Order: sequence, then C-alpha cells, then structure tokens
Amino acid sequence: MGVLASDPGRGGTVTAAANGAAAEAPPDGDVLLDVRHLVQEFVLRDYGGAKGGVLQAVSDVSFELHVGETLGIVGETGSGKSTLARSVIQAPPPKHGQVIFQGRDLVGLPRTALKAARRNLQMVFQDPFTSLDPTWPVSRIVEEPLTAYAVGTRQERRQRVRELLDLVGLDPARHGARHPRELSGGQCQRVAVARALALEPKLILCDEPVSSLDVLVQAQVLNLFEKLRSELSLSYLFIAHDLTLVRQVSDRVAVMYLGKLCEIGPVRAIYSEPLHPYTLALLTSVPDPDPARAKRDPASVIKGELPSPLDPPSGCRFRTRCPRAADRCVVEVPELRALGAGRLVACHYPLADGSPPAERGEPHIAASSAGTSQVPAAEADI
Amino acid sequence: MSVPAADLLASAPAQDLRAGAAPRARGWLRNLEIAVPGTVLVVLLFFCFIWPLVYHVPDPTVGNLFQVNLPLWSPGHILGTDTVGYDIMSRILYGGRVSFEVAAAVQLIGLVFGGLFGMVAAYRGGWTEAVMMRILDVFIAFPSLVLVLAIADSLGPSETHVIWALSAFSIPAFARVSRAATLRLRDQPFVVAARLAGTKTWRIMLRHLTPNIAPQMLTFSLLGASLTIILEGALDFLGYGIPAPTATWGNMIATGESFISVYPRLVIVPSIFLLVTSICLNMMGDGLRARWGVR
Amino acid sequence: MPRLRERGRAAPAPGGSEPSAVGMTPGAVLEVEDLRVTFRTRLGTVYAVQGISFAVEPGRTLAVIGESGSGKTVSARAIMGLLPRSADVSGSIRFKGEQVVGRSNNEMRDYRGRNVAMVFQNPERSLNPTMRVGYQIAEAITTHEPMDRRQARERTIELLKMVRIPAPEQRFHEYPHQLSGGMRQRVVIAIALACGPEVLIADEATTALDVTTQAQIMDLLLDLQRETGTALLMISHDMSLAAAYSEDVVVMYAGKIVERASARDLFAGVRMPYTQALLDAIPRIDTEPHVLLPVVGGRPPDQSVLRDGCPFAPRCPDVQQDCRDHAPPLRQHEPDRWWACWHPIQGGAAR
Repeated sequence: MGVLASDPGRGGTVTAAANGAAAEAPPDGDVLLDVRHLVQEFVLRDYGGAKGGVLQAVSDVSFELHVGETLGIVGETGSGKSTLARSVIQAPPPKHGQVIFQGRDLVGLPRTALKAARRNLQMVFQDPFTSLDPTWPVSRIVEEPLTAYAVGTRQERRQRVRELLDLVGLDPARHGARHPRELSGGQCQRVAVARALALEPKLILCDEPVSSLDVLVQAQVLNLFEKLRSELSLSYLFIAHDLTLVRQVSDRVAVMYLGKLCEIGPVRAIYSEPLHPYTLALLTSVPDPDPARAKRDPASVIKGELPSPLDPPSGCRFRTRCPRAADRCVVEVPELRALGAGRLVACHYPLADGSPPAERGEPHIAASSAGTSQVPAAEADI
Repeated sequence: MSVPAADLLASAPAQDLRAGAAPRARGWLRNLEIAVPGTVLVVLLFFCFIWPLVYHVPDPTVGNLFQVNLPLWSPGHILGTDTVGYDIMSRILYGGRVSFEVAAAVQLIGLVFGGLFGMVAAYRGGWTEAVMMRILDVFIAFPSLVLVLAIADSLGPSETHVIWALSAFSIPAFARVSRAATLRLRDQPFVVAARLAGTKTWRIMLRHLTPNIAPQMLTFSLLGASLTIILEGALDFLGYGIPAPTATWGNMIATGESFISVYPRLVIVPSIFLLVTSICLNMMGDGLRARWGVR
Repeated sequence: MPRLRERGRAAPAPGGSEPSAVGMTPGAVLEVEDLRVTFRTRLGTVYAVQGISFAVEPGRTLAVIGESGSGKTVSARAIMGLLPRSADVSGSIRFKGEQVVGRSNNEMRDYRGRNVAMVFQNPERSLNPTMRVGYQIAEAITTHEPMDRRQARERTIELLKMVRIPAPEQRFHEYPHQLSGGMRQRVVIAIALACGPEVLIADEATTALDVTTQAQIMDLLLDLQRETGTALLMISHDMSLAAAYSEDVVVMYAGKIVERASARDLFAGVRMPYTQALLDAIPRIDTEPHVLLPVVGGRPPDQSVLRDGCPFAPRCPDVQQDCRDHAPPLRQHEPDRWWACWHPIQGGAAR
C-alpha cells in the first residue's frame, strides 16, 4: 500500500500535522547528501562527429548537506551550478565521483533502485512554464509522481492532489483543471512545487526557482519555500545567481566559479567576511537599495570575462580576473581547505589572512580589502 | 517577522501585457487560409466516398462503346466519356478514392513507424540515435522517386504495394521530423521532471512527447499527403502503380496522354483534380502550421 | 534637480500641483505628457498606460520602476515609436520641444537612433546571429550618416573601444555567438550609441546578465553618460538597481505613476504603500536567513477595465474607504516629491 494509507498523520492533514512538528532540524544533523569529487564533462562534437573539445562543466566538487539544512549554491552563468544539480539527480549521471544520498551512492545505480532513491529527491526548475507539460492540466501534473509510484488508490491520489494544491496556495477547484498557459508564472511555479512535494521527498533541489518571477511574486514564492521548509522539515539545495536570495533561504552557502567550488561556509560568515576574492567580487556587485550609503567603488568590480570552460586557466580558475593573483596561482590548483569555523576555501591567498601575497603588493589589493570593510558595515545595519 | 496566511495564498500577477496586446494581424486571412482548402477537401472527400453510396454513379470500369468521346456537360456524363466510353466523372470519383486512400495509408504508416522511430532515436540519444539515423540517411539519400520506382517494380503493381513503396519514402521523412521535434523536447525541464517523478520511459513518450509533437506531425502529414498524391499519380502514369482497369487519376492521365492532341480534356480534367487536391492539402498544412506556431 | 511633472487626471490640481503648460521644463531633452496607450485586442481594450508624464534631462538618469504589466515597457516603446499598429497612443512625447506622437514612419526612422536609442533586455535577440558584429555596428552608423566603408569601420572600432571591448579589431570580425552575454550587450550599446543619441533608453538592459556583468555594464552606461551627456532612461523591475544607479525614480503601477522622487529622497522615506511593498519584497544582502519577507498578496488589476478608486487599493495594507471610491491623483506634496496616495506612509523608510 502506498504512503497515504500507511501514514495517515501526513496523508490526511498535511498542514495540521506539519504545524505541530514545526521544529527546525538541527543544522548539524545527519548527512543527507554527500557529494564527493563530482566531475561532469560534456564532449563537444564538430560536424561529422569529430571530437571538438571537452567542456568541463563541474570539476571535482565535494560538499555535504545535512538533514533539515538549506545549502545555497551561488555562481554566475557558466559556473556549472545547474549542471551540478542535474548531476546530483542523475540526469545525466556524472562522469566521475559519488553522490551519496541517504547513505547510498546514486551513481551507477540500476534503474529501479534509482527510481526508489529518487522518491526522496525532487527538483524545482527555473522556468515555471517549460517545467510543466503544456498539454496537461494542473491536477494531472501534480498527480504524475503519485501515479508513477502507484501511491494509494485513484481516489486517494485525487484527494492528495487537492491537499497539495491547497498547501502551495492554489485553489484545487479553480486551478486544478487549468492548463499551465492559463496560469501566471508564479502560479506555475507553485504547481511545480506541489509536484515536487507529492512524494514527500526529503530533499528538493531548487534550480533558480524564482529568478524568472516579478519581485512581489518572487517574495511570495520564497516565503512559500520557507513555510514548507519549516512545516515539512525539508532540506533544500538552493541554486541561484542572486546572493541576496541565497542569503535569505540558506543556512550555508557554496560559491562556484567555472565548475569549481571557491568557498563554502555558514551564511553569516561568508557574507560578513568573505574569504575568496571571487565571493567578495560577487558581494560588491550587488546593487544596494539604499543610496544614502556610499556608492560602490567602481574599482572593486571585477574586470574581464568568464574564461571558456573548454580551456579553463591552469592553477586557480579565478586567477585571470583575480586582483590578488600571484605566480603560485598559475601553477598550483588551490585545494579546498578549512579556514575558520565550518568554513572551507579554495584560495592560496584568502582575504582573511591579512597578509597580501608576498610576490605582489599593488594598490588593487588595497582596493579589495577596502571592499571587505564595506560589507561588515552593511551587516551592522540590520 | 510573520506573514498572514492570506499573503502566502496570494496568487501571482496577471498575464504579461505585451502578450495580451499582441496584434492578431490579418486574423481573418489566416482563417481563410485554412477554411478555403478545408472546405474544398471536405467536398472532394464527400463526393469520392459518400456520393457514390447515395446516388447512382456509372461503373468506372464498364464502358459503353456507343458513347465514346462524349464532350463535357453531356447528359448523364457531366465530364463526358473517354475513348472507350468510361464515364470520366465516375472515374475521377473512384480515382480520388484511391488517391485519398493511398495518401492516408502512407501518412498513417509514416506517422506510426517513422514517428516512433524518430522519437525513440532522439530520446535515447547516443549510439542508438547515431545508428538509427544513419539507416534513415541511406533511404533519404536516394532520389525518392527512383527509390519508390525500384520498390514498386520489385513488389509488382497493386494498391497495397504502392502504399508500401511510398511508405519507404514517408517513414524516413516522418522519422526526421519526429526526431527534430523530440530533440527540442528531450531536455525540456518538464520531461526531466517526468523522469524524476518516476514515470516510465514509454509513458513519457506516449503521454508527454506525443501530444507535444502532435501538431508538428499533423501539419507535416498534410504536406506529405499532398506529395504522396502526386507521387502516386506519377507511379500510375509510369505503369508501376495500380494496374490499368482500376480508375486512378494517374492511370487516367496515362491513357489520356496518347490522345492529348485530340482530346486534351482527358489529361486536363484529372490533372486539375490532382493539382487542386495537392494544393489544398499543402495550404491546409501551411495554414495549420502558422496557427499552431509550429516551426 | 529634475523637473518632473505629472498631472493627475481626476483632480484639476489644487494646492501643490503645477499648472500644465507646454514645454515648461527648461533643459529637458525628452518630455512625456499625459501619455496614454491603449491596445485593442480581440478580448477587449487594454489600458496599458493611463496618462503618465515625466521629463528626462541631459546627463541625468531617470529610472522607471514597475512589475511586468505596469506599462513601463509600453511607455518606452511608445517613446521609440515601436508599438504595433493595434496600439492607440495619445498625449504628447516631445523631443526637444518637437512632437513625436503622430509622426510618419520615415520621420521616426531618422529620430530613432539619431535622437533616441534603445538597449533591449535580451542581447541575443537584438543582434543578427548571421552577421559579424562589426558590420552590424557599421550598418547602424551608415543608415544615419552617409560615409564610406573605411570611415565606418574606423568609427565602429572607436565605438567598440568606447564600450570597452578588448581587442576591437579582432572582435569586429566575430559573430554574436562567439561573444559572452556581457560582450553582446556591449555591442548592443555600441549600436545604440552609433549616432550619438541624446536619449538612451535601457529597457531591463542588465536583467539577463549576472551580477558582476551587471555591475560592469551599469558602470559603463554611467561612464558613457558622463562622457557624452546623454540622458538615460532606465526601465527596470529592480528597485535596488534604481537606487544604486539612478538620480530620479518613477514608480509605475497598473499603467499609472504612483510615486516620483529623487532616488535619495525616495529611499529615505517612501510615501506610497506600493513602493514600500516593492522595497520590502527584495531580500537584502543583510537579511537574516529564514526570515519571511513581508509581502502583499493579490495581483495587479485587470487593465481592460477602468475603475474608480486607487488601482492598488485591493492589495494595499493601509486601504481605507476613500481609496476605493476615488483614485488619488499624482500631486506634488513636497519639493520634488510626488505621490498618488490619500494615506501616505508618514516617515516610511526603506526598512
């Protein structure tokens, strides 16, 4: 029998049951997802099928995600953050590495075992319109996972769909029969969330779930994620290019650049005292809604372009745009190392070391440390 | 900070204004583009398939040697008779039947086999796709008429053989269209979401992919039907198609061709029907393609 | 200080309101007055822009803020004369005192590009993928100023340098797909600046870009503005962007301007509850984790119906009966501060 019958406390009254158990999971709970040395590459082919190059989308990324925790992943276009999420759900599976979810490595699992494991692992995509089949009505979209896992009887599934739509703030009677094109972007994203919740997963991967929404709708959907997290004790892997969004939803943040992790650590620490120069560059690029504060120093904006992932720079991948880059950065790949409480950084000359690299002592370093002092000022303003 | 539940229940803003305001340029013209050929086709289909059931139409294969070469508008023979006294109107109607039957059968075979072939190839990707598509390339590389002639010749003349011969040309064409359409869908988040939801592959193909590529396949099959009718006529004309006593438009043109200088109508009348049917199918396909926004 | 003017339609403007007159804003290069745009669709008439007025001065940046459907993009397209034929435009748009509304297509072609240019949101779609970028810029130059190929090429490379594209001689021969999103947007800006327009409209020009690229492009736009004295009209949904980069801000809701002030004044004390809602909805770099954002529910009104009352009334947390009965006109209440609200937030501030 399916979940509905065996778990009446959840199946019948999702909201009520969840309200009672709203306690936040401890951030240092059990490891839910353990990604080890994940590598994802795509072979590009020229006309005729000749090998044209290898696109290194994700290169040796490792991190852990605990039960009840939200890990934010920030990075720009081309940083590999979406590929990382797709690799975690094995669509497509990574080239190397392990994705240990609930104690089980998903990489190379046979199809049926993978299907069983994925029951606790769902995803919400960026574009609410393309993530819903345009030919299906909303209620059928939300029912799809239940049908696929043969949960309950038809009647029970229908009932569950109504509860799910209600949970995400849609009216089952009004919206259930509609097609995605008859809904707004925010409503479509709610449908996608309802579908992701249908099987009561433990972890939801959110790939820029609010980037394509209007500000007010974005806030509504973000609050929905937050409400569900506390009510259903979910864990999120929350991918975004917007640092401010990530800060609001996450317990810990990982910063990615060109397929590699730069820095990972607790939110407050990363935002108040970034260690990696790239994190600082991201932080100083965020426009401040308060014009009374000093305008951002244009010199702190990082220059240049993201290098090609077909031919990433040697050593540290950020070195071509880094104001602190030195000779060592060209030859030696910086390993992710512990620095401070619960923080890891992949940089030879992290910002908190205080001492600028010995090889160079040019004025732009002063500019970036001036940037550091800006951020705590913002912090004090809360 | 707490937020009232009502706020969470609030729905998102209305549709994008620009989309709502997009002009329906030449809307009536676009309707005509579908309505006119549609009506013509319905009328043709009615006369070919229903009319002979309710009204007496002379047997198309029984001639009357006392009534040969009657001109147009003769009493009892609206389009006249030919050199052996067959009623041309009746032969046009029965010939139309054959044309429509062949066209429909060929499209259906193409749609089912080709569509499935292309969908599977595109959805599976990798080596499967490469091998499957190379096989198709072999078929496509042949000039279609030569290939069809070769197959028709080896099978021998009959309606079913013509259908199979023409399918050799429609299956690869449908496969390509279906592959291209599936490729566009394969990595769409909703297909990935369906896989994540645990939906089985065949179900994804049937429930997600098929409805989404259907408009494209349907418009293509209308365009294909127009081509099939012409090709079928050509096969008959060349003597590789449906054997002589059966009335087909191609056969009529073939026999009429010998008398083209004396009785040009023997060629012109079936040619007009062939042309009009083909153009209507084509217009219909184009019109639907524009309406459904299919590329 | 900007001389921004708007006449509320409902009231004949007692008190603080300025009288309407033609060409009253000295120094303004572009003046929009009582602009109305309606679309006739099969489903009915949509009142997309319902009487807005503002002026843009050389060397200054005016941000027009609103959600999708607020009429901000429609207004920008009306200024460019780029609306479809199903659109009815009334009111006046004056470029240096000369009426733009009702000009013929030929006249508009010269005005676009030479006088007013626009940078669109999506750099992919605003460039021709089959043409080398250099030629696209050169084409923009030669359509307005006859010159030979060598001159056009030199001017193109000059423009590429101006928008700080490294190795412009090489980039000249590249196709759009060989450039990154930021580089493409620079090319689009170069095309927009090709004929030295006096007004540049940036319609969500950085929305599709990453934060670091956004910062680069915004800095570039402001630098270019300083160099050339171009007036910049920035259309955006992003309050923080407006605050960080513009001098004056206009907030639009449901086709109307609901608040207008200098960026500094506005963010020091918001008056209109809608503006406050927009500001509150943005997560900040200093927001604590897992804090719910204060949000307003509901959705913008259906603009195919004209109603009495404030358009924001159904969603407004401070709504009262008079808000539902009469629409508040946009009036000047303080020096250079305008708002359309019966019950403004007193001392409201950016959180």
